[in-house]
Amino acid sequence: MGTRETGPVLSLVGVSKTYEGAQKPALEKVSFSVKQGEFFSILGPSGSGKTTILRTVAGFEKPDNGQIVMDGDVMNAVPPFKRDVRTVFQSYALFPHLTVRENVEYPLRMRGEPKTSRRKKAEETLSLVELSTFADRLPHQLSGGQRQRAALARSIVSRPKLLLLDEPLAALDLRLRQQMQHTLVALQKELGIAFMYVTHDQGEALSMSDRVVVLHDGKIAQLATPREIYFAPQNEFVSRFVGRSNLVPIRFAPAGSGYAGTIEGISIAGLTSERGGTARMAIRYEAVQVKALNGADRSPDAVPGVVEDVLFLGTNCEVNVRCGGLSLIGTVPAARESTFVVGQPVQVGFDLVNTQVFYD
Amino acid sequence: MTDSIATMAADRKTFRRRLPLKLSFASVPVVAWLFLIVVMPNLLLIGTSFLKSSAGVIIFEPSLTNYARIWNSAGFWALLWRTLSFSFIACVFATIIAYPLAFYVGRVVGRNRALLTMLVVIPLWISLLMRIFAWRVILGQSGVLNAALVSSGILDAPSEAFLYSPTAVVIVFAYISVPFIFISTMGAVEKIPRDLFEASEDSGATAFQTFIHLVWPLTRRNLAIGFSLAFLVTVGDFVTPAMIGGIDGTTLGVVVSTQFGFANNWPYGAAVAVTLMLSVGLLLGVIIALCPSKGVMVGGESDQAGAPTANPATRLGRRLGALGYVAAIAYLYAPLAIIVLFSFNSANLQVFPVQGLTLHWYHELLQDQSLIEAARRSVVVAACVVSVSVVVGTGFALVVHYARLRGARFYEMAFALPIATPGVVLGIEMVLGTELFGIPSGITRIVVGQMSFVMPVTLLLLLVRLRRIDPSLMEASLDLGANRWQSFAYVLFPMIRGTIVASAFLGLTLSADDVMVTLFLSGGSPTLPIWVFNQMRFGFTPSVNAVFSLLLLACLLTVMAASWRNALKRARVPN
Repeated sequence: MGTRETGPVLSLVGVSKTYEGAQKPALEKVSFSVKQGEFFSILGPSGSGKTTILRTVAGFEKPDNGQIVMDGDVMNAVPPFKRDVRTVFQSYALFPHLTVRENVEYPLRMRGEPKTSRRKKAEETLSLVELSTFADRLPHQLSGGQRQRAALARSIVSRPKLLLLDEPLAALDLRLRQQMQHTLVALQKELGIAFMYVTHDQGEALSMSDRVVVLHDGKIAQLATPREIYFAPQNEFVSRFVGRSNLVPIRFAPAGSGYAGTIEGISIAGLTSERGGTARMAIRYEAVQVKALNGADRSPDAVPGVVEDVLFLGTNCEVNVRCGGLSLIGTVPAARESTFVVGQPVQVGFDLVNTQVFYD
Repeated sequence: MTDSIATMAADRKTFRRRLPLKLSFASVPVVAWLFLIVVMPNLLLIGTSFLKSSAGVIIFEPSLTNYARIWNSAGFWALLWRTLSFSFIACVFATIIAYPLAFYVGRVVGRNRALLTMLVVIPLWISLLMRIFAWRVILGQSGVLNAALVSSGILDAPSEAFLYSPTAVVIVFAYISVPFIFISTMGAVEKIPRDLFEASEDSGATAFQTFIHLVWPLTRRNLAIGFSLAFLVTVGDFVTPAMIGGIDGTTLGVVVSTQFGFANNWPYGAAVAVTLMLSVGLLLGVIIALCPSKGVMVGGESDQAGAPTANPATRLGRRLGALGYVAAIAYLYAPLAIIVLFSFNSANLQVFPVQGLTLHWYHELLQDQSLIEAARRSVVVAACVVSVSVVVGTGFALVVHYARLRGARFYEMAFALPIATPGVVLGIEMVLGTELFGIPSGITRIVVGQMSFVMPVTLLLLLVRLRRIDPSLMEASLDLGANRWQSFAYVLFPMIRGTIVASAFLGLTLSADDVMVTLFLSGGSPTLPIWVFNQMRFGFTPSVNAVFSLLLLACLLTVMAASWRNALKRARVPN
């Protein structure tokens, strides 16, 4: 390992970009760093600017303001073919006229490596992605998953310091997608290359990454570890985008020295605050406790409601409960016999350990 | 398990072998047309080449006399070599112009790509005669080039070296070839997804490396096809060498046409044509084999091919490209502009400066009875050819596409054959075919002859369109309760209507401009281009300029009408 091991592989310093003819900026003063050997994800809905970041780092777009720094050097004016980053394109962008092997050899050939070493490295990389037997096929003779692995092999064969992945799993079916997630993580650990992974799928981002940056309208909404993002979202956007949460309107009324929160007019024990007024509480489906209402034993801090629909998801069920003007979704363990039926009166309780409250 | 698969495979094999013998009802007219218009004329040509002729009368005695004569004639081989090299050199020059031009329009230009493409392609629609004639005006002894060189002091006296020389033929052939090579190459250049350029650059390739390893392999096949098309057109062109080439510029096309003309030795002409076809086929086969295409573009690469944001060219490159484009357009249009200018010139000579403006030549046209008759004949012919071609071409396209004929590719190739046959050869094939059936020369013969290459154009255009239509649309219509006729009328027809109209316009210009084939068939009743051709042969009057200018105007109006329709449709249906 080199002497600059501690420095970040990539830093964005106040990067802004507005496309020609666009009203809104695609990126607004975005700053973050990617450490060596890190699995770093950029998560956001479409149009949030995540692909723009990737294209700016790869060199296909120039930032209007700010700096792209790699290994301590400002890279803004360096053309893509002179940057030590490789991209796995969403469409794979395999050269249709070259075999898998020739595709993988391409970056080595471009920098003039002799044929024998090219061949050897391509062979190694292909076996790494388990594609050795398909080396002599043309891209159109491969399945979607194989194309994906060929594209991956092509971009890691020259061992770049940083690999950019642009929604690489988007075109694969669910099973393959899950398999590839494991492959990617294992590969990343084995190679020690920093991955910058762009996706709109929060599941992918949370499961694979060391750190995740959530983007919203060209700005950073939160930059943290997957756990922090999942359990402690900093704002409403993140809590809505990541994980499956209800956003419940609450009202804080003065009570004693502080304020007590009410949902649908029912005060909830343990829900207190130093501020009054209205707010919204993000509460995950699994923290919403749906219980059958048997006779008159409604707990005082539970909200009554009626089951509207039930989704069977295998290990558990999602129950959608209507409580007055409010719709709440909670998960319950799936039993062999259905426990809730549509129209059944229930009560909804709240586990307040991992909830976030956002004031107006 | 494996056994049953094996027997199934075997079953399918015999099934496949048996099927072509069982012709379905729908394919009967298709096969009949193929036989009458494609297979039989070719067989007749080959057959005739083995006959003998004595004082203009064909003797039905099979022999190899003609081929022996060809084999032993040193003159023939020299002429063959010259014919092939004229076309080859011209196509190479045209490639040097058209390939960068296609790259510029297809990759560098952001806006107005359709317009820029159109400008390069329009000359294809403009009368070949006019384009040849324009170069005569430029290169002639008292022509524009000589006048300019003398007046600027570069030459002391007008040179005779320009016109009636091999160089002149090559210049005109290259001029004719540029649009063919451009449009074919453009098809490939445009289709390369932007992702691939980025992936190449991302892999560390410089612009030059990207060209060598990505652009060239993906475009060479289309280039070879455009090259071949241009080669076929120029090799079958006997008008250019006859009008521009002089003695040193003669080609085998001229030889064939004279054998079917005043030399009146059809069998020898047929043998020369067959030999020419074989040599051309061999040469083009080698060229296409040298430009292999490998792999298939897999869908899913981003469709925004060549989006302006990923502009590969630097500012300097873009300026150079624009400059080159303007130069190419000047090369394509200056000759035409000169003709239009001279059509208003009051002087009798085609020399700058223009003496004074007059409408005299246009006025003269109105009084020329033979011209008006020829024009009327052209209209009748074009109307017949286009209406038959559109009906038959649409019907055949539907049959080939929907009746799931075995070997649809084969049918397509067979139908494309007349388009790929050099003009002079197609002309004499049609003479032989119509002669056999006793069709008299004149309008009927011309219509049959022109249909042989106009109908396939309609058919192929429609096939391309039909293949792009999502098959589930017709299924959806049937599923929703519409019967086949209703589905055709309400779903399919509205989608292919634009293509039908476009192919009709194209057929119109093809028919109205044709000289190569029509010349052999018209006999004493010339169409407009043949009338002009005769005028040019027997002495020049400036009224020819006026005819050409009017033809040009008509062509431009047709093209504009067609593209205006398309633009309108696009505006109505935003993608």
